[in-house]
Amino acid sequence: MNQTASHRLAPNVSLTIIAGFLGSGKTSLLNHLLTQSGGRKITALVNDFGALNIDSELIEAQHGNQVSLTNGCICCSIGDDLMRSLADIMRQDPLPDHLIIEASGVADPTRIAAYAAVDPQLRLDGIVTLVDAAAHQLHAQDPYLADNYHKQIEAGHMLLISKPDLVEDSQVEHLEAKLRASYPKTPQARVRHGHLPIEVVLGLQAETGEQTTPPHAPQILSTQIEDHGLASWSAHLHGGLSREVLAEKISSLTPHVLRAKGVLRDAQGAYALHYAGGRIHFEDLDVQPSGHFVLIGKPELPNAQALSDLFQTASA
Amino acid sequence: MAHILAQSIIRHKPILFLSKTCALVLSHAEAMLGLGHFEKGESFVSTIYQAKSIRTMDPHQPHATHIALKDRKILAVGTAQDVADWQAAWGPLELNTDFADRTLLPGFIEGHAHMMEGLLWDYHYVGYYDREGPDGTIWPGLKSIDDVVAHLKQIQATRNDPSEPLIAWGFDPIYFEGRRMTGADLDAVSGECPVAVLHASLHILNANNFIMDAADVKNADNSEYIRRDDSGKPTGEFLGQLGMYMAMRTTNLDLLAAASSPKTLQTFSQVARQTGVTTCTDLANPVPEGAEVAMRETVEKDSFPMRLVVAFQGNSLPPEESVARMQALQDKQSDKLRFSLVKFVADGSIQGFSARLKWPHYYNGAPNGLWYIEPDRLREYLTAFTQAGFQCHVHTNGDECTEVTLDAIEDALRAHPWPDHRHTLQHCQMASRAHFKRMKTLGVGVNLFSNHLYYWGDEHRAITMGPERAGRLDDAGGCLEEGVPLAIHSDAPVTALAPLFTAWCAVNRVSSTGVALGGESEKISVEQALYAITMGAAYSLKMDTEIGSLEVGKRADITILADDPIEVGAQGLKDISVIGTMVDGLVHLNKGRDA
Repeated sequence: MNQTASHRLAPNVSLTIIAGFLGSGKTSLLNHLLTQSGGRKITALVNDFGALNIDSELIEAQHGNQVSLTNGCICCSIGDDLMRSLADIMRQDPLPDHLIIEASGVADPTRIAAYAAVDPQLRLDGIVTLVDAAAHQLHAQDPYLADNYHKQIEAGHMLLISKPDLVEDSQVEHLEAKLRASYPKTPQARVRHGHLPIEVVLGLQAETGEQTTPPHAPQILSTQIEDHGLASWSAHLHGGLSREVLAEKISSLTPHVLRAKGVLRDAQGAYALHYAGGRIHFEDLDVQPSGHFVLIGKPELPNAQALSDLFQTASA
Repeated sequence: MAHILAQSIIRHKPILFLSKTCALVLSHAEAMLGLGHFEKGESFVSTIYQAKSIRTMDPHQPHATHIALKDRKILAVGTAQDVADWQAAWGPLELNTDFADRTLLPGFIEGHAHMMEGLLWDYHYVGYYDREGPDGTIWPGLKSIDDVVAHLKQIQATRNDPSEPLIAWGFDPIYFEGRRMTGADLDAVSGECPVAVLHASLHILNANNFIMDAADVKNADNSEYIRRDDSGKPTGEFLGQLGMYMAMRTTNLDLLAAASSPKTLQTFSQVARQTGVTTCTDLANPVPEGAEVAMRETVEKDSFPMRLVVAFQGNSLPPEESVARMQALQDKQSDKLRFSLVKFVADGSIQGFSARLKWPHYYNGAPNGLWYIEPDRLREYLTAFTQAGFQCHVHTNGDECTEVTLDAIEDALRAHPWPDHRHTLQHCQMASRAHFKRMKTLGVGVNLFSNHLYYWGDEHRAITMGPERAGRLDDAGGCLEEGVPLAIHSDAPVTALAPLFTAWCAVNRVSSTGVALGGESEKISVEQALYAITMGAAYSLKMDTEIGSLEVGKRADITILADDPIEVGAQGLKDISVIGTMVDGLVHLNKGRDA
């Protein structure tokens, strides 16, 4: 079985599972994510094509249960057989860079994540669970569905509070506090009409969960933008910055920081930083680091000046 | 009154006789034109079969000895004394005594099976119980892991290409004390090719180390679906669809390919024939575009010994598209192939702990099961199909799921009243008397999974349901007492396709170790069980005007048995030999039986 050997050598496909009840905004989110692929070849496995409502200018071709987009993404409908749909995708050549599965409203996302455990080409990036702020009370008390609802939230590596605009702000805050009390390590973000930067959702790195905290630092040029109710701050950190110190600074920003990315260097050499889902991951690099550093978080993040100060003191 | 009546009968007799003579002439004319002949297959114009006993399931005439067939239909049913009248009325009828020592019943109808039964016989059966293959070969049950390994070793030694994947099915370790099968066991069969053993439930798979090495069992968090030994090392056993996925990825085989290939259909029909089934369901099939044409080509052949009722898998498409697809299938039907049902699976299985149960849920404390379709979505589908006038069959295993499905049906019927919808609950294993009462009111029928009593009865008593609730598992007695139309089924290939065995289960209600489940109120009589596997199932498929009983005008679908089940009685029901069947009056004799 030669293909077996080749499977092992082939690159990993990252798997993101979007979970959440019927009507919680999975399709809207997916719709938005597919327009921001940024060069990634994303394949999305969805429940219902029709609901996707992809901009017709973006559609390149449609064959049966598959739609190809002009940006290289592909959408496939699951029908009623996720296992076979997934097997079909994973037999394709070339493989996608990233696979997003829209779980059915009552699916247990850990069951879907389990496929990544046995497929050498599939790597679980994360489970993103949408929590409908407007329907939370109903779902949490549904006599038939409450257990499934809690199971989905528990499984999430990130919780997205959808439809925050439909209820009082205090109600959303109450929900967020409640979720934080139960799942203190799971990052949260609000999402309106599916509008969210793709970096927040993809790259959670759930599987490579080990937090490596090795060792220095920078001159800062920074900008801060607010978009979709999220704050984003980017900077060029010139000079060295130790991995340990960087990890410490990022941790000090929890729970307001959601994602961080950077290509930096320290005494040990160049490295890439990924922070997602509450976990920091460093990767050694052979390239000249650009010093580029990005933080995405909630509006509660310190302002640009404060952030510059924070990372300035970290630099040596 | 009696006197006048007698007179009138005498007076009218000559007139009746005259009209019969006309019929006789017509019949000859038809024969000459070839209208009474089959164009293909066995040649008979009109035949009277003499039997030792005929159990008709027709209350007007429950017992007979002679049956006349013409034009693929039943012309007359009666006794030796009627034959002369039939000959006079209908013209020359050939008397056939091939089955003079046999008992005839209406052709058995399996109201819940899967075409996958036909596919699995491409692989190797390794179940605990003896199972009859499509060619009549009895595959003896394998009583230990060592037996299974030895059997597979023997197969491996004789294969033309020993590097091809070796797939076995039907394995059920419930019956083995102590250890479970491991990758090392299957490496003993071969370490040079993929070896996979699929469990009877179809939800667990054991793999050899060849497959394990090719896969990359790396995510330790998911131990729920990967069985591990005490040291945390995966044993080669995978739960859910995970094992199947892994085997498919490793072998590049589509193990459970959409089963509408002619070969799969043929095998399926042969298994059916061996057990006396003349109409069988495939519950369900997504019927991809074009599949209906391929199926019809195979099924239409006179040599194909079975009517096939395909249930369209309703949630394979969104509601509107799904209804449209079902509408498009309607004119693709024929006498032998139907696309008349829509199927939904609303929850999982009790033994897999994925059925939705009411409080207090699982006896062993396992968390409540899974919805396979969310209740609101189910309501949406049922409403759409009720409006469009299509009969729906819904898989509901747990009692909570049964209740939610009844709610959804009630809502659909409020929106679109339909007196004879005959929506049917499939499996419906944990329904209570209150549920049956509600089904009666709503006009909902039920098809119970009676084979579970035998195969998983002990497990339900000890682990899933506890003794009290296991006592009302598949309560056929309660169902009939509450007046709900009843069918019973095998869910083949999950358990063996064999309606007489299913009937035996519903009548005797004992587990494989002989432990009784429930009492007399849950049992049904032999007569009621035979009705359930004929007329009961025909009613559930809305085919009771065509098949299900032996009465004038119905299709000539007949099951030929070695002995009369009414005389054999409750205990021996499952052991009665099936000689063969007739479908449309064409005889299909079983392999390995003397006519």
